[in-house]
Amino acid sequence: MTDASVLGAAKPAPVETEALTLMLGDRVLLDRATLRVERGQVLAITGGAGSGKTALLGALAGQLPAGVDMAGGARIDGHLLIAQGGRLAPRRPLALQVAEVVGHHLGLDLRSSLRRMADGLDRMGIPAAARRFDLPPEQLPESLRWACLFAMAVAVGPAVLLADAPAAGLDPTVRLRLLHRLADWARADGVALILAGRPEDGLAGPADRVLALRRARLLPANPARTEPLTPLEPPGTARLHARGVGMSYPLAPGPRGEARSLAVLHGIDLDLRTGETLALLGETGSAKATLARSLLCLPPPTAGAVVWMGRDLMAATAPPATGDANDPDRGGLRRARRDLQPLFPDPAASFDPAMTLGAQFGLVLESLRPDIAADRRDHRIDEALEEAGLRPEAALRWPSALSVAEAAHAGLARAILSEPRVLVADEPASSLSAEERETFLDTLMAVRDRRRLSLVLATERYDEGLRDAHRGVVMLAGRVVESADAGTLRTAPLHPYSRAMLAAAHGERPALQGDAPSAFAQPAGCPLRRRCPLAREFCAQAVPTLEEVAPGHHVACHYWDTPADG
Amino acid sequence: MAEYDQPPLSHPVPPETPRAGFARGLSGAAILAALALACAAAPLMADGSAVHRLDADPVAAALLDGRGSLSFALLAAVLGGLLGIGWALLAGMLGTLVGSRAERRTIAAAQRMAGWPLALLVPLAGGLTGPVWLLALVTALTAAPAVAVLAHAELSGLMRAEFLTAARAAGLPEGEVVRRHLIPNLTRPLLAAGVLALPRVLAAESFASLLGLGLPPALGSWGASVGLAARLGDPVAFVPPALLLALALWAACAIADGMAAGHRKP
Repeated sequence: MTDASVLGAAKPAPVETEALTLMLGDRVLLDRATLRVERGQVLAITGGAGSGKTALLGALAGQLPAGVDMAGGARIDGHLLIAQGGRLAPRRPLALQVAEVVGHHLGLDLRSSLRRMADGLDRMGIPAAARRFDLPPEQLPESLRWACLFAMAVAVGPAVLLADAPAAGLDPTVRLRLLHRLADWARADGVALILAGRPEDGLAGPADRVLALRRARLLPANPARTEPLTPLEPPGTARLHARGVGMSYPLAPGPRGEARSLAVLHGIDLDLRTGETLALLGETGSAKATLARSLLCLPPPTAGAVVWMGRDLMAATAPPATGDANDPDRGGLRRARRDLQPLFPDPAASFDPAMTLGAQFGLVLESLRPDIAADRRDHRIDEALEEAGLRPEAALRWPSALSVAEAAHAGLARAILSEPRVLVADEPASSLSAEERETFLDTLMAVRDRRRLSLVLATERYDEGLRDAHRGVVMLAGRVVESADAGTLRTAPLHPYSRAMLAAAHGERPALQGDAPSAFAQPAGCPLRRRCPLAREFCAQAVPTLEEVAPGHHVACHYWDTPADG
Repeated sequence: MAEYDQPPLSHPVPPETPRAGFARGLSGAAILAALALACAAAPLMADGSAVHRLDADPVAAALLDGRGSLSFALLAAVLGGLLGIGWALLAGMLGTLVGSRAERRTIAAAQRMAGWPLALLVPLAGGLTGPVWLLALVTALTAAPAVAVLAHAELSGLMRAEFLTAARAAGLPEGEVVRRHLIPNLTRPLLAAGVLALPRVLAAESFASLLGLGLPPALGSWGASVGLAARLGDPVAFVPPALLLALALWAACAIADGMAAGHRKP
């Protein structure tokens, strides 16, 4: 209290801390942080998992997490905390929850609360048709739930808004749109806004100031690496071909007993050259993971062909017609498995919990490299572990004893065990954040360069995926909408979806509206047309096909060359 | 050489927490084992020679009754567990060989039956039929659907596990995937599902015996003794079997819970 009076005639900033220190047992979460956030200022605090962001926001909001001790001073005006994950009661109608919160803070009745909430939703850009107050939050899409939370904060109108991991888990284009709206509101209404989240969540974009919580200190954020680790070498000849690859899943039969299916991947053509890195870019529902698995025939696609070094993999995975079921290398499948290895999105779940890492690696070698003698296997396993950045002793450990980062590195070690030629990585770093993520991606690229591997990297992080790639393929709703070399896609993409993903990756405001439609309710014609700034009537009539607009640059859009306001 | 110098600051390895339900399961197992031992040794308490249950003191009589109750429960639980697990495995195999529709129907039947008051079949069978093995089979049938539902949930969860895909990516044939990865990971959850039958059959048998329609009088049963003492209005004879029955039921439930909680991920 005395601090505030000393600070003098000017109105004190709504958030001020003086040598704020947070301890979790013996561990220092935050070391003497002095922080000041003015009215209308947006501050982003980034940090990896477990770095103490939630504890810091809790300390500011006066709700210290259990076991955390606090020293130093913190002064904060009337505040509102949006907790991690949103925290709405899942089964209670939204209107009642809104009325409760707004009513508690402002003393309003149900109608006035809802009117204020409707104003808030306007500012979050939610059209009237999408407002469903009487539904419980569990029946709302994730993005609408976050928009409602933000709108609730707007309705309350606090002096300080603290948001912990806001809109985490949403697609980048949707998340950045909401965050920009929230930041606009904070600046217009003079609210001090503190956003805390992981560095790869793109909170830096809408913020005025970014601080990274690193080793218990609040420091200016390091810019992420934007150039490839080592200059990329030109790729060789194409070895892996995918022709017309499609995937559809069977659904329950229709009312008249007719068979139904849901097509999620529509006739993709792809070539992968030796030593080439191909980024598959797309958000939720773009079927990039399905395509990655189809390339490995795990499971085989339902249409088209995948050919590795002249051998049709789909024929090899088909059940044998004659009685040669015991042939260990039927159709050369085992040889192809040795050459094509996957990296899984959840590395910890890709290890058998009932075996040590070493035992599982031994099994892989026994199956894929029968040419390596049994007594040489341990040596090979140690080499692979060291190359992937782990100690050889890791072979003795059980999967449940690995940390998330170690599991990711162990997954990489297993993938390179058989000395493959192609790695197919499906969001390999999605479980990691901040420095761990960078370390893992750097290791992956170092392994790729050392072994001259081809790499298929499926990811929703546009910039990060293209950073180390030769070529990029942007996917939307199971179709390729743009493919070009990485430099072109990073500087001048033509498709509105690629442009939006690039804007989101740079922290700018994406030009797309609304959410991606569900796979069961795809609009006729172009799947992007309800969100697209270029959409016209013709977009509803035909799905755009890929056309070559420059050598090696293909775009699938009816109006890619039309300016947005035309 | 790239090396992991130190564990990163984030993701600190949390201290090993004891698994929930483990201590309870362990104490349940200890109590059940002690009960079984006491019941087995009960004839020694009856002054050697011939055993007349009605003459013996109430505690010894209750322990003698426990021999019938516990051994019957064990027999019926093994049968019921096997039936339920077999049901779940059958559904899983139908799913792979015939199609997901056959699997869904097989397990939907178990789900529906798990909601029926099947325990009422036990006194019916006890009243209508004589042989103990038939009664054991009917009692086992009452527990099997619940076991099947739980076992099938575990099985289908495991069939979708990512590490099976990883094993296929390593070129292992399906038979090897099942032998090396599926079966070792399946035994514990299936066993845990099977143990669920123990408290169910014990309760069902005691209920039937309480009505006088359960085990034949020569075998003895806690439920029968409780029922008899209640009818005679004899509190001294009523308390010991009732307490032992409650204790055995708690122990069986604790074991089943502990087993189910033990293999689940935190």
